[in-house]
Amino acid sequence: MTDNYDLIIIGGGPAGLSASIYGGRARLKTLVINKGTIGGMPNTTREIVNYPGYVNISGPDLMKDFKKHAESFGVECLKDEVVNVDFSQNEKIIRTKKNKEITAKAVIIACGSEPRLLNIPGEKRLRGNGVAYCATCDAEFFEGEDVVVVGSGDQAIEEGMFITKFARKVSVVVLHDEGILDCNKVSAERALNNEKIEFIWNSTIEEIMGEDNVERVRIKNLKTGSSSELNCQGVFLFVGMIPATNFLKNSGVKMDQKGYIPVNDLMETNLEGVYSAGDNRVKYLRQVVSAAGDGATAAVAAERYIEEMNAFNTNVLQSNKKVLLTFFNALNNESLEFCTQLEETNTELSESYKIVKVDMATKKSLAQQYGIEKAPSVVVLDKGQEITRLDCYGNKVNLKAQLQVQ
Amino acid sequence: MSLAQLKDATFEQIIYEDEAPCLVIFSRKTCHVCKEIVPLLEELQPKYEGKFGFYYVDVEEDKVLLQKFSLKGVPQILFFNEGVYNGKLSGPVEEEQVEEKIEEVLNA
Ligand SMILES: Cc1cc2nc3c(=O)[nH]c(=O)nc-3n(C[C@H](O)[C@H](O)[C@H](O)COP(=O)(O)OP(=O)(O)OC[C@H]3O[C@@H](n4cnc5c(N)ncnc54)[C@H](O)[C@@H]3O)c2cc1C
Repeated sequence: MTDNYDLIIIGGGPAGLSASIYGGRARLKTLVINKGTIGGMPNTTREIVNYPGYVNISGPDLMKDFKKHAESFGVECLKDEVVNVDFSQNEKIIRTKKNKEITAKAVIIACGSEPRLLNIPGEKRLRGNGVAYCATCDAEFFEGEDVVVVGSGDQAIEEGMFITKFARKVSVVVLHDEGILDCNKVSAERALNNEKIEFIWNSTIEEIMGEDNVERVRIKNLKTGSSSELNCQGVFLFVGMIPATNFLKNSGVKMDQKGYIPVNDLMETNLEGVYSAGDNRVKYLRQVVSAAGDGATAAVAAERYIEEMNAFNTNVLQSNKKVLLTFFNALNNESLEFCTQLEETNTELSESYKIVKVDMATKKSLAQQYGIEKAPSVVVLDKGQEITRLDCYGNKVNLKAQLQVQ
Repeated sequence: MSLAQLKDATFEQIIYEDEAPCLVIFSRKTCHVCKEIVPLLEELQPKYEGKFGFYYVDVEEDKVLLQKFSLKGVPQILFFNEGVYNGKLSGPVEEEQVEEKIEEVLNA
């Protein structure tokens, strides 16, 4: 059995939940599919101080509010992972890890991003034995020990400072020249003045070593090319994020080299009825507030698209009368005059046709679907099936003759 | 169903005296990865009812156990059979990995 929805949202972080609030409120049958804990990345954040309306709130608490809000509009949530999609038809097909197949008229991709791995020797093997990715979870295990932190973004520096509460010394390995950190200024200043933090500039790590537990790392200086070893018991890696869009590889959704999805102002991807919102799209600022904004935009755009699709179904494909699907260009006088002539002719034929006008400029995809390249063009449909096309370049007599034949 | 929690004393009993095949997840409330893995085990548990035990240790409440296995992070799933430690899985794991490991322990 397959389930059908109006709108499916892949990912239940800030972007996905915001989209679902708009979808639910617009009375679309809306499903959020999210692997793991609903709420997404903020679940890993101790405090959020820049989401409007909340001076200071923990990430999980903020996301609980998002979820409650979505549920109040009747949104359904499914805990599962999307592993495969088929966006080639009007009905989009989503397949999940638990072998569910679900369809929707429109899909919003809001799967966010995941931590990047360094893929260096020792990283996988010593995970949980000194290699860690979460200070809140694991910092305490390094009481009185030496820890290496790799990275200099907000997360690396803030987590690094948290680790100093437990560790004897924290060495932060930074790619850049002395004094340059990627994080915000407030944190940078605090970290640079923290006595327990030592910085290793112009460097990265090449290998994590140790028999059963981490014993040391090999550090490479990028300026001199030389390597050195540093003894430590823990290594925390915060080397950025990558979009979680791998499952879309063969979907036809356009992505950039890194896997981010480019969209326009409406969050539309290159595929009709498929939108992308939040951290997984190409964008300038990746934060909760901007993810929420994206979600709202995508949901409203999806709602309009679904409405148009439904209208097209009832007005055109299921019409009792034959339909003259008329493509025109509002900026072109000739095609506007043609529309008037067509209306007049139809009146003379006692309205035997239903005329549906399509503006080429705004309904590009429909034009594409019928292979229309210039305006005016008319496709004659009977019960949704194309029966012929009109020659639009003769006079009215010619037009009437064509319509009488049908 | 939630996992049965082990304390220092019950740990001794179940692992070393009963010697039943089982897994124990070492976890803590403030760890987001644990929050993903614990439900995964809870879902898997009924499938192995009577064949393989599923237990839970809160590392904040039981530091002794943590030190005993010199763990350096959570979550970690430790596997036991006949009172012997049979290896572990660390960090975010998939359901299939846990099942594979259970089979390995049972068939060893
Ligand atoms: C350490 C850290 C601190 C931060 N601090 C702040 C802060 O203070 N303020 C702020 O505004 N922002 C902060 N951010 C950024 C903020 O968390 C993100 O910008 C925001 O979460 C993006 O939301 P999203 O909905 O796009 O993606 P996410 O929050 O990543 O949510 C995506 C969801 O989709 C799910 N998913 C992924 N793939 C699939 C799939 N195939 N099938 C089903 N589900 C899937 C994921 O499990 C996840 O739940 C921080 C980020 C980090 C890493």
